Amino acid sequence: MAEYLLVRPVRLSLETVAARSGLHPELVRRFAALSLLECTTDADGRLWFTPSTVAILARIQRLRSGLSLNYAAIGLVLDLLDRIDVLEAQVRSQRRWT
Amino acid sequence: MATDFYDALGVARTASADEIQRAYRKLAREYHPDVNADPGAETRFKEISEAYQVLSDPDQRKKYDRFGADFRRVPDDFDERAHVGGGGRVRYAQGRRQGAQGFGGGFEGVDIGGVDIEDLLGGFFRGRGGPVAGADQEAELELTVDEAYRGGRRHLTLAGAAERGYDVTIPPGVLDGQRIRLAGQGGTGSGNAAPGDLYLIVRVKPHPRYRLSGRDIHVDLPVSPWEAVLGATVPVTTPGGEVKVRVTPGSSTGRRLRLRGEGMPNPKGNPGDLYAEVRVMVPKKPSKRERELFEELAAVSDFDPRSS
Repeated sequence: MAEYLLVRPVRLSLETVAARSGLHPELVRRFAALSLLECTTDADGRLWFTPSTVAILARIQRLRSGLSLNYAAIGLVLDLLDRIDVLEAQVRSQRRWT
Repeated sequence: MATDFYDALGVARTASADEIQRAYRKLAREYHPDVNADPGAETRFKEISEAYQVLSDPDQRKKYDRFGADFRRVPDDFDERAHVGGGGRVRYAQGRRQGAQGFGGGFEGVDIGGVDIEDLLGGFFRGRGGPVAGADQEAELELTVDEAYRGGRRHLTLAGAAERGYDVTIPPGVLDGQRIRLAGQGGTGSGNAAPGDLYLIVRVKPHPRYRLSGRDIHVDLPVSPWEAVLGATVPVTTPGGEVKVRVTPGSSTGRRLRLRGEGMPNPKGNPGDLYAEVRVMVPKKPSKRERELFEELAAVSDFDPRSS
């Protein structure tokens, strides 16, 4: 018989994300509202984030300070960088003949 | 930050403000550490940002044109002071406080000594919110088929802010395109934030004999006509060492012999297979005797390879 392990879902609260990235929780909430961060809302209305959110927040700040992008542009850049990651991974996996 | 600011932006010293802005925007988009994962990009980005910060400000640009790399150490009211001091002589940086007495009133209360460039530049990656973690970086790691097969330690150096050297342990059986993660070796974080990761992307160099297809290795197996007809046991060199292959009698060119498990090792499962493909080779300059025997064979044999 197969065994199933109980796994706690890996998700971070708004406060944890804010603390780990050194940002004010309200700014994180605003990024979520601007759809720069993926999040889920539970029955109590609390926001939950994936662990990669901390790295995305760092990227948002680097893009904002380094290229003076506004948040709409940052959203677009984040989406495009994700798409490039997927495409590059595809290219890599197809290049298996050496 | 030894580079000349105009060189950093690739513009002439006579460039207009528009030209400087255009050059900066273009380079910033190219070298931003989130867009360019090259380990050298971050340093380059900081360099162009610093250059632009100075050259986009007319006052700072004037000072830079006049004093060069040390322009930050020159007080704002240099000209007035040079006048007051009489000699046009300026002392700045270390020991300035003590030295000030000798110059009459002109130097008091000005504190510009020992400006730390990092103080001025740290803000580039800091944004509004305090420490920001570093970006991930990527570099290529070129391996021969044998190196990829065996794995092992490898020293590599990356050019960057400071040249960095790593001793990387390569697991046996890495494939072209696989990524090896060096945690915490990517872009620097600002403040006390964590650095990004460095990913080494494996590139397996083309090999004159081995062709890789996933974990399978293909290799040509040259045999003589009589070995192909009569069958033989022939040695074949593989990345794992020499193995003996039994060529069954009547093997024509193209016949593939599979050596199970002799392909690339797999740390997480079954290794690949090795395929040795028979290639019948003939002597380019047969001896007199060989020629006679082949002529005899030609006369006796009714084998026609084009009949079917």
